[in-house]
Amino acid sequence: MDDELLKLEAELKQLRPSAPSSWLREEIARELTPTKSRAAAFFLVPLAAAAALILAFNLNREPAAKATRPTTLVSAASPNSASSTASSSSASHHAKTAKPFQPVAAENVLVASSDEGLVTLADGTPARQLRQTYVDTITWKDSRTNASLKWSMPREEVRVVPIALQ
Amino acid sequence: MEDAHDSWKKWFQLHGPRLLLCARQWTRTLADAEDVVQEAFVRFWRQQRQLGGEPFALLLLSVRRAAIDLGRRETRRVAREERSQNDDASAENFFQPQPDAEGDERRQSIEAALQHLPAEQRHVLVLKIWGELTFEEIAAQLEISPNTAASRYRYALVALRQHLTVADCQHG
Repeated sequence: MDDELLKLEAELKQLRPSAPSSWLREEIARELTPTKSRAAAFFLVPLAAAAALILAFNLNREPAAKATRPTTLVSAASPNSASSTASSSSASHHAKTAKPFQPVAAENVLVASSDEGLVTLADGTPARQLRQTYVDTITWKDSRTNASLKWSMPREEVRVVPIALQ
Repeated sequence: MEDAHDSWKKWFQLHGPRLLLCARQWTRTLADAEDVVQEAFVRFWRQQRQLGGEPFALLLLSVRRAAIDLGRRETRRVAREERSQNDDASAENFFQPQPDAEGDERRQSIEAALQHLPAEQRHVLVLKIWGELTFEEIAAQLEISPNTAASRYRYALVALRQHLTVADCQHG
């Protein structure tokens, strides 16, 4: 390169790039700083997931119990039975109020897990931070038409596990 | 033991400006560049900083990939454009203002000349001068040969000199 280009190169090296904005620094700090809410997620997220599973399980059981009623009615039905008339009325009411889609399955799949190294908790305790990504999926099914509906939600779990140093 | 949540600040203070400058060569606006730097830096700090190799080069690679991905995403477009409209005009400068008026005028001329360079030349120039990468590292970043990187660098300097000469003539 000629002297003029070397001079230009030296001049360019003297220029200092502009500093990143405070917005960018704050955003990075927000993402990299373990917050109370993230630590709380260690306890709350599994509880929420468990609650969702229990709810889905119960919803799943309920229609099964109700579904036995019409079967019983059919087997017990006789043209001249007064009780069967009352039961038929009840079954008819149930058929009108039953929701077409019922949850039939719920699952959690662990798709990624990473060890983010050591962090220090607010009280100075060293801890290891683990980040796990799940996909929770709940499936509903309409037994009349066999149509199914799946709801999948990604979920990130941050576990902060205190370490006892000897 | 150094607190990991403070050490990133020192690292970012030292390397953040040139990282952002490089990111701006691959994105349309300052807001886009900030988005890709944020995404790449957070990912690097969480998952990749323990890896071997030159951290700045690794981070630059991550920034470039994030910039390519960003161009394909539409979901964050509106937020970026709103923030871009609110950006302080001075924040759009590539470089820090110079203390004297003459020096600052020259800085503005250089910034304008840089914008006129073909993108592939400007990328190499920025990575070499302010990214402080070798031609081999630039070649790896841009997936070109080291010889191509070196020749693009030379063409960029020549073109920049021509732009600056024209600008000097126009300003008398």
